Amino acid sequence: MEVLKRAFDFSDFPRTDLCVAGTVALFLLVFPLLPHSSFAMATMIQFLMFSVYGMGWNTIGGYGGQVDLGKAQYVGIGAYTTAVMMIRWQVPFWVSLPIGMALAVGWSFILGYPLFRLRGHYFAIATIAVSLVLKDLFEAWSFVGAARGLKIPLRADMPSFLYLQFREDYYYYYVILGFFFVGLFYINWFRQSRIGYQLRCIKDNEEVAKSLGIDAHWAKIKAYAVATAFVAAVGSFHACYNFNIEPEDTMSLDLSVLIALMAMLGGAGSLWGPIIGAAVLVPMKNYLGAWFGAKAGLVGIDLIIYSAIIMGIAAFEPRGIWGLITRLRESRRS
Amino acid sequence: MTAETLLVQVLKALVSGLTMGMVFGLVALGLTIIFGVMDIVNFAHGEFLMIGMYCGLLTYSNLGVDPLVGLPISAVVGFVLGIGCYYGLVQFLLRGPMIAQLFGTFGLMLFLRNLALLIMGADPRGVHHGILVGKSFVLGAGIVMELTKLVAGIFSLLAFAAVWWLMNRTRVGLALTATALDGQAARYMGIPTEKMNAFAWGLGGTTVAVAGALLVNFWPVDPNVGLLFTMIAFTTVALGGFGSIPGAAFAGLIVGVLINLPPIWDALSAFSQWSVVSGGELHQFKYSFVYLAFFLIMVFRPRGLFGWKY
Repeated sequence: MEVLKRAFDFSDFPRTDLCVAGTVALFLLVFPLLPHSSFAMATMIQFLMFSVYGMGWNTIGGYGGQVDLGKAQYVGIGAYTTAVMMIRWQVPFWVSLPIGMALAVGWSFILGYPLFRLRGHYFAIATIAVSLVLKDLFEAWSFVGAARGLKIPLRADMPSFLYLQFREDYYYYYVILGFFFVGLFYINWFRQSRIGYQLRCIKDNEEVAKSLGIDAHWAKIKAYAVATAFVAAVGSFHACYNFNIEPEDTMSLDLSVLIALMAMLGGAGSLWGPIIGAAVLVPMKNYLGAWFGAKAGLVGIDLIIYSAIIMGIAAFEPRGIWGLITRLRESRRS
Repeated sequence: MTAETLLVQVLKALVSGLTMGMVFGLVALGLTIIFGVMDIVNFAHGEFLMIGMYCGLLTYSNLGVDPLVGLPISAVVGFVLGIGCYYGLVQFLLRGPMIAQLFGTFGLMLFLRNLALLIMGADPRGVHHGILVGKSFVLGAGIVMELTKLVAGIFSLLAFAAVWWLMNRTRVGLALTATALDGQAARYMGIPTEKMNAFAWGLGGTTVAVAGALLVNFWPVDPNVGLLFTMIAFTTVALGGFGSIPGAAFAGLIVGVLINLPPIWDALSAFSQWSVVSGGELHQFKYSFVYLAFFLIMVFRPRGLFGWKY
């Protein structure tokens, strides 16, 4: 009960924030009823997926300050577990989802133990290395379709909630919206929980945290497991939503970095940061890609603009958009 | 397979590993200098290499001269690129937290890669003829040595010697070393550390661009070539020790041999009919070994072989 009360307790935010958040939540709920193109729908689904990825990353990367650039491997584990179980043994999505999450979390404990002996840059690069090794393995492993990946066949009883196969996109939209709200309330609990405070203490000064009796290594591993569970859950959803998964699009370094980038652009270590980041980056990436990508001779210009924004944010406001908003507020108040 | 062919296979892999290793060392040299001086990891390092490769390629295809003529051009371009990146981006990143530095250089990597994609197109392009290209000589029974790789190895050694001389025998090199050891103390001694940082980036850019111009003789270049070399360079630097120049040279050789271990293993398993791991197919994992080695080094010996900075 106490936990639930905490999860719904947003009282430490100013009223304007809550009004904006409420409006956005309402908009998300009614979005499929508004007139929209199918491209906009796909963009919204991607936005929700990346917000949940970002929320997951935020637990370890934002609150804990450990820059993890290997999250894509857990997306892959989640996606592949669901796909393999559905293709080979006809296991429903809602059964394979927790199994995929459990596998990913188990793997994250195995990796987390040695990884968190490292700090800073060393940790970041080591996560990249591990995730590339796993991707290479999946590209060669014929049980999971090697480099060609897996294709989930359409079922005869096609609109099926159990197997998460629908004809219209808005069913998928509401499923991922459910994930989104569960994730949001979980993170709201997380940031006010014991482990949340421990992580922020570790981020500020690990030596002080240790001297206060916090088991820094174990706290980081736990936060890493939480992040992994989030990411793997969305990975499972991704497999059902796309019908088609390959190592290149579920486990690539680009995805890992994108996840971390969304959170950082919005503002790592704040509740709204990853959502803001995904809301800015996903539509921008999709629409820039659609405008410029199609034109001959302009391949890559969308990513050039996008990377210029990343560099600008990193150089001038490392706390992201949320940091910008906070700074504006403080200057107005004084 | 007879024992003789096995021996030839193993020797071939070793020779190719050692020559490639010298170039890998040169690729990693720039990264280790930059890291040693200012504790910043440059994700765009592989992209600097790609630009060096394109410099060599363009002098070859546009001016119609041998890619080796492109070496000084590459060096100048790399120097300007390094300095430009420092004053344009990195000096701002240094004020922020570590995460900003990671993402800043990562953005630089995406930026350069896609700029290359926009200008040069996605097709891999290689050098097809030149003074060295396509020539080889035989080193004993069956071991063929490509001239391009040998010359690249020799030039890498020369570049290492030059950098060593610069770092240990000139005033500017001593100032750079002082900045690396203790930036604040160096500033008290009147060393312009800002300029030294920029110079480290310039030097890093130069060495890696030269490596690129050497590499393009036998390695086709496309805009996505960078990531693989970035990871190889990270592994090399981690093995040699962050910030250590002789470390980069030795570790480059080790990494070169490491990449050629799976083919050796495959030859062994084909020889003995003893296929523990999918006989004859391990060579597709040759880069995984590098990544795995990086992970293991970082976990068990983060100082590397010759490291002084951790």
